Amino acid sequence: MIHSLFLINTSGDLFLEKHWKSVISRSVCDYFFEAREKAVEPDNVPPVIPTPHHYLITIYREKIFFVSVIQTEVPPLFVIEFLHRVAETFQDYFGECSETTIKDNVVIVYELLEEMLDNGFPLATESNILKELIRPPTILRSMVNTITGSSNVGETLPTGQLSSIPWRRAGVKYTNNEAYFDVVEEIDAILDKSGTTVFAEIQGVIDACVKLSGMPDLTLSFMNPRLLDDVSFHPCVRYKRWESERVISFIPPDGNFQLMSYHISAQNLVAIPIYVKQNISFFETGSSGRLDITVGPKQTMGKTVECLVVTIHMPKVVLSANLNATQGTYNYDPVTKILLWDIGKLNPQKLPNLKGSLSLLSGAPKPEENPSLNIDLKIQQLAISGLKVNRLDMYGEKYKPFKGVKYVTKAGKFQVRT
Amino acid sequence: MPYFGSEEMVKELKRALSNPHVQSDRLRYKNYITKVIRYMTQGLDVSSLFMDMVKASATVDIVQKKLVYLYMCTYASDKPDLALLAINTLRKDCADPNPMVRGLALRNMCNFRMPGMTEYIEQPIVAALRDKASYVRRVAVLGCAKMHSLQPNTEIDGRIVNELYALLRDPDPVVVVNCLRALEEILKDEGGVVINKPIAHHLLNRMKELDSWAQSEVLNFLLRYHPRSDDELFDILSLLDSFLQSSHAHVVVSTLRLFLHLASAHRAVQADALLRTSAPLLATCSAVSRELRFAGLCHVQQVMRSQPGLFATHYKRFFCGYSEPSYIKFRKMEILVELVNDENVSLVLEELRSYCTDVSPELAQAAIAAIGRIARTYSEKCLDILTGLLALKQDHITSAVIQTFRDLVWFCPQSTAAVCQTVEAGVDRPQDSEGKQALLWLLGAHGDQMGSAPYVMEGYIDGLKTELSSTVKMELLTATVKMFLCRPAETQDMLGRLLHYCIEEESDVCVRDRALLYYRLLQRGAEETRRVVTGPKSDPSMSVLTGRQEEPISEWASTFNTLGPLAGRDSCPQTDAISAADQPSYSAGEELLPGSEDVTLSGPGDTEEEISLSLGAPLSHESFEKMWLDLEILHRQALGVSRPRTAPDTLQASLQLEKIQTLAFTPADTVPWKAYIYTRSTGTLILAELLQGATDESLVLSVKQQPVNQHAIRRFVSVLKSVLQTLNLE
Repeated sequence: MIHSLFLINTSGDLFLEKHWKSVISRSVCDYFFEAREKAVEPDNVPPVIPTPHHYLITIYREKIFFVSVIQTEVPPLFVIEFLHRVAETFQDYFGECSETTIKDNVVIVYELLEEMLDNGFPLATESNILKELIRPPTILRSMVNTITGSSNVGETLPTGQLSSIPWRRAGVKYTNNEAYFDVVEEIDAILDKSGTTVFAEIQGVIDACVKLSGMPDLTLSFMNPRLLDDVSFHPCVRYKRWESERVISFIPPDGNFQLMSYHISAQNLVAIPIYVKQNISFFETGSSGRLDITVGPKQTMGKTVECLVVTIHMPKVVLSANLNATQGTYNYDPVTKILLWDIGKLNPQKLPNLKGSLSLLSGAPKPEENPSLNIDLKIQQLAISGLKVNRLDMYGEKYKPFKGVKYVTKAGKFQVRT
Repeated sequence: MPYFGSEEMVKELKRALSNPHVQSDRLRYKNYITKVIRYMTQGLDVSSLFMDMVKASATVDIVQKKLVYLYMCTYASDKPDLALLAINTLRKDCADPNPMVRGLALRNMCNFRMPGMTEYIEQPIVAALRDKASYVRRVAVLGCAKMHSLQPNTEIDGRIVNELYALLRDPDPVVVVNCLRALEEILKDEGGVVINKPIAHHLLNRMKELDSWAQSEVLNFLLRYHPRSDDELFDILSLLDSFLQSSHAHVVVSTLRLFLHLASAHRAVQADALLRTSAPLLATCSAVSRELRFAGLCHVQQVMRSQPGLFATHYKRFFCGYSEPSYIKFRKMEILVELVNDENVSLVLEELRSYCTDVSPELAQAAIAAIGRIARTYSEKCLDILTGLLALKQDHITSAVIQTFRDLVWFCPQSTAAVCQTVEAGVDRPQDSEGKQALLWLLGAHGDQMGSAPYVMEGYIDGLKTELSSTVKMELLTATVKMFLCRPAETQDMLGRLLHYCIEEESDVCVRDRALLYYRLLQRGAEETRRVVTGPKSDPSMSVLTGRQEEPISEWASTFNTLGPLAGRDSCPQTDAISAADQPSYSAGEELLPGSEDVTLSGPGDTEEEISLSLGAPLSHESFEKMWLDLEILHRQALGVSRPRTAPDTLQASLQLEKIQTLAFTPADTVPWKAYIYTRSTGTLILAELLQGATDESLVLSVKQQPVNQHAIRRFVSVLKSVLQTLNLE
């Protein structure tokens, strides 16, 4: 399946390679570099590159290219998802997935790659099983290791693999039994010039952190399960019960996992939390332009919009911006041409406004396309779709667990056209 | 060598590793080993340290062991004799009480890719196949495959194969899947692992225990199994049902592929599976990862080939975001073009219009071409947009618009007048050669409808000396000759100058030859030239009555969920169409052929028995229509065969093989179904209509002819009948 993996940074240095079958020469990456050069932006490198003897499947994440070499026909989604899993595992282990952390932890990286694939086939990819095989580095542990000289390799085999429920190990014990669920929704939307919604959908996930002793059997029910029509679950969820009763019944994995994800795309169900009044114009003469942006709350169900950030990719001819923000700070980077306005909390009484002039490269023609605005925001204690957890029940164990549900709404790909 | 002075570094490491002080300090020793590994991963050749590293493998520290093994696996094939030294340690580790150590040692021993390893690893592998820890069994099973790949040409060890088949019943799901993977590799020459009924059902029942990767692979293996009866088939499908809604896109897609494959005889089941997976597929199209999004889009595109309506209501999900990479935007535009219908056309066009001014010229051009494709159905709205784009006076946009105009005129003759008007009203001269060629083709083919055409052409002829591209020059030659034929008075002078320049001063041989060809043609008179030069003005093979065909699922199911569509290797019908549009630019030479064929065929064709059909010059829709209305029906008969159930393309191709040209036919599912065809024979032109009143009724043939020749008709009817009968047999 996956023959080899190369990690390459944005400046084109190959800084890590791993082969699961025979060694493939680095020269195979030349096809990648060729495509990389043609694509100009690192984002634009195509994910599948055919070469005479191999296929290269690439993902680009956190400024690193994960280039895998494939020799036989494979389902492409399989490889792409697997590469993302590798990147996620690094993130999980080292806190972030960057060139520096990978280089710093090169030993653990190799151990992980060795356990995740054997002979090119995925072996152990579940985070909780991997963590029993290879312990993640922590400051305390690396200190202990330095003193005692012990290693961060598990001494015993992960037991979870042997129980009848592959995602949960047997004999889990906690003093505080707790189960937390985070309902996280992201709004992907495109609004047009006049503020009408061109496209909107909600991508939701329920992340769970379950630390319960023994073999608990949980049942989660919603106030309004009819909202959800397009859902996918963690393998532990009993799908038949969801189909018949619309409740989520499952024996949870131990620790952190994603219980389910869902999409809501019916337009009338997607509330748009803010509105943006904007006016960006470039003058025909005088090589300058005007910018005036106001942001206000729209459908927030009485909650406060926080962490509001407006990002604008300006046309290339914009040299500098002389603006005045009534709230927050703005910053224009003349190299990347990105105007970033960090607003913070949205105050409905006093709407934040950014206003002023833009100066353009003199002599250049006025840009024919106005830049679009990317919005980032966060609303605590609200799932914008209106999804609400009704109750969580536990069977199979005697103790009383501590339960909690948290809601967060964020902006995903939220874009306002001008 | 990536680093200067690396030899120094290696020497220093060697010194440190062999230093007894360092060896006694475990931490320092390990640090040096880590350093070696780090250099190795950066591409430095540290193979000269092999001896010292082998020594370091004799340790209790698992991490150090792992590092040394990693080193040894990389260099073992270069230093086989030294690697043998390490084997003893490894074999000892294979009997360690800790299963983790056992597995690790076994795995690395199998990873030494050097000849002669087999005799050392065979015994530990066979022993480990019966190990009580599943972790070791997993490693051992794959070890069998690795062992086989060490000696690919030796005979397959039947004992191991049997053992592996037996292990398919192992309680550990990963061992089961690894068995499949190993057997597949070992038995590659014999067609891979055999999936019989007990194995298939065993795997199906254990699907739920597997992790998502294994599920996806098992689903692919199950493609090989053919259920004996419909009952069994539906049992299998209901077991797999829940995987259509899996949270992993790759499992969903693999399941869908298996559904399409197994239920190939049950259209309704296939349609239902497609409908149910449309939601997960759409979700993949808006996943966080851009690569997943891309793969999702490619799969949606394939599904749409058979079920264009499935995603019609979701067209807004294929609108491009500002920051998406260009490979996603291209795919989304292709999908949007397919999704256009009466309700959403204005919104989609508005959206595409905004992409036309994208910073990237390639994207802008693709967007313009997309509008051009929609224009074949919704000409008016699109022409307005395209004309509006010309006002932007951007080079790359103008060029793309003119190329789109050319393709549009070729595919959709009814828009000719509007296009000519726009071009006439003033178009900036495109600067790139593609654009120039397109403009010249338009001027040449439809010069009679544009008053100012000769003057635009003259501009090009005057600037000939500075023109670099030879294809543009050739196009200019063809266009000027065509123009001369319809407007001789205005063109004669400039044609003279052009031919003179190209024959006397041009250095490119192709251009000079083309000029000489035209010169000699013109010497033979205007009529002769016209016969050769004026080709069809629109696509003759196109069927105006049909929209895009709904292809049967089997057309693409075999490449579904494979790399081909993502790598752009599967030939999509659009590119074919575009290459057809390029054809007229080079038509002058080729069009001599049909004419001359006509001459040779009409000679001996007079004898009764040897009447043969020929294609001749293509007939335009207008002239066919005119003749059809003018002529009387000479012959009508029921053919006694029903319409073949093959795709319209196949029908068209097989008729063409027998020299019968298809002009147009109605979509496959309309009642009554009609097709118009024509052919030539010994100086007569035969026009015919095939009509099928209701499904499965016999086809009725009506023939018109000019001039009348009953023999030719008889011959035509028998050829047509045999073609249809053969197709029905298949």
